Amino acid sequence: MAENQIKRASGLPAAMTGLVQELMHLPGVGEKTAARLAFHLLNRPREEVIALAEALLEMKERVGLCGQCFALAEGAVCRVCDDPARERDIICVVEGPADLMALERARAFNGLYHVLHGALAPLDGVGPDDLRIAELLNRLRSQSSPVREVIIATNATVEGEATALYLARALKPLGVKATRLARGLPAGGDLEYSDSATLTSALGGRREI
Amino acid sequence: MAAEEHSPAIVLRTRDYLESDRIVTLITRDFGRLSGIARGAKVSRRRFERRLEPFSHVMLRFRRRPHGELMFIVRAEAEGLESFLLEHDLARIAMGSYALELCEALTPEADDASDVYTLLVEALRTLERAGAGAALRQAFEMHLLAACGLALDFARCRLCGAPAALTAHPLAFVTERGGIACARCRPAAGDAAVLLPGSDAAALAALSCAQLAQAPSLAAAGRAGAHALSRFIAASAGRRLRSVEFLERVAGQTAP
Repeated sequence: MAENQIKRASGLPAAMTGLVQELMHLPGVGEKTAARLAFHLLNRPREEVIALAEALLEMKERVGLCGQCFALAEGAVCRVCDDPARERDIICVVEGPADLMALERARAFNGLYHVLHGALAPLDGVGPDDLRIAELLNRLRSQSSPVREVIIATNATVEGEATALYLARALKPLGVKATRLARGLPAGGDLEYSDSATLTSALGGRREI
Repeated sequence: MAAEEHSPAIVLRTRDYLESDRIVTLITRDFGRLSGIARGAKVSRRRFERRLEPFSHVMLRFRRRPHGELMFIVRAEAEGLESFLLEHDLARIAMGSYALELCEALTPEADDASDVYTLLVEALRTLERAGAGAALRQAFEMHLLAACGLALDFARCRLCGAPAALTAHPLAFVTERGGIACARCRPAAGDAAVLLPGSDAAALAALSCAQLAQAPSLAAAGRAGAHALSRFIAASAGRRLRSVEFLERVAGQTAP
């Protein structure tokens, strides 16, 4: 494969071929896009390219995972875990850092998080040991002040549901209340244009008013 | 542009591609196993109704590409097709995932797979109704093997063809032959054979003949029978399926 790539990019100088190959490691970037990006960088001022290279290195050197919740962090713990104003007896479990960011943007949750870094995917061989599930359970067991609720905010996909069900089962012996994000109509959504799966979920999750 | 084609289909597997696309593998009633790219599948509720998820039963509308293995998925809609509600139960998800992976592993791409499609519909329907159990798993495995031309035989010795007495002694299941060897032929079967209690062979024989919908009410074969089946499937698929470990973990109810 790599040899093929070298052959196809053989018209370029060696330094550019190397960059094209590195860029092709990025998700969704094929050879054409990688070559286009390489040409773009070649044509930018030197300072701009150095700034990009330095930003990449700085990110790699400074960003790691929070030792408590496994969110992205600069330092031992992330900003959320470090914030004394956060409620510490409620934890929201998400699949990835992007989900955490989405919830933070909504400003509707003031508790702590736990990032699993994936979801159970039996078809892809992703099992419980591949996620940060054991770390969540250890965290709940060792927390100095008890956690009263764990909100399972995994995606509304088969993998997300499997993860939620597995977590609910694992949390039961710990006596922690486990809740799941509601599924249904989006804010501002018209019933008329909703798909049947969404309507079924919305009917199943209806609540008394 | 190629003409639009359509067929009922069940989604076997999906994976995200670029920002909003999905690559989807389905088993169709009319065109066998197909893989295609669904542009904008993660955002278009109109064209895909969020139905490109494993277990989804859809009317697939697609166009073939002149040069390329992946077809273009134009739409995927419910159109009144039966749906399978498995997502509320972990055991059902685990078993259903295994059934999907098994279909993908045993069905050649773009081959006639109408029997496999029909069988998978029946299996998912039974799974929703009766839950995950060893008898349903074993029955599905044997029915699917048969639909793929790999039927197991417990009625006769695979080596000499003599009728087998399933109740007598432990029998030898010969993986390479996909069946049992009688007591006389057992030495010729070699050390690789799996010893099978007569009761296990009888249970497997009954499950292989029964309607899939009836399987949950029948007895499942024990550990040796299940092991024999697993070995035969791994040999036929050329690999151990990825979903097996999760299925067995959930079935064993082991939580960390």
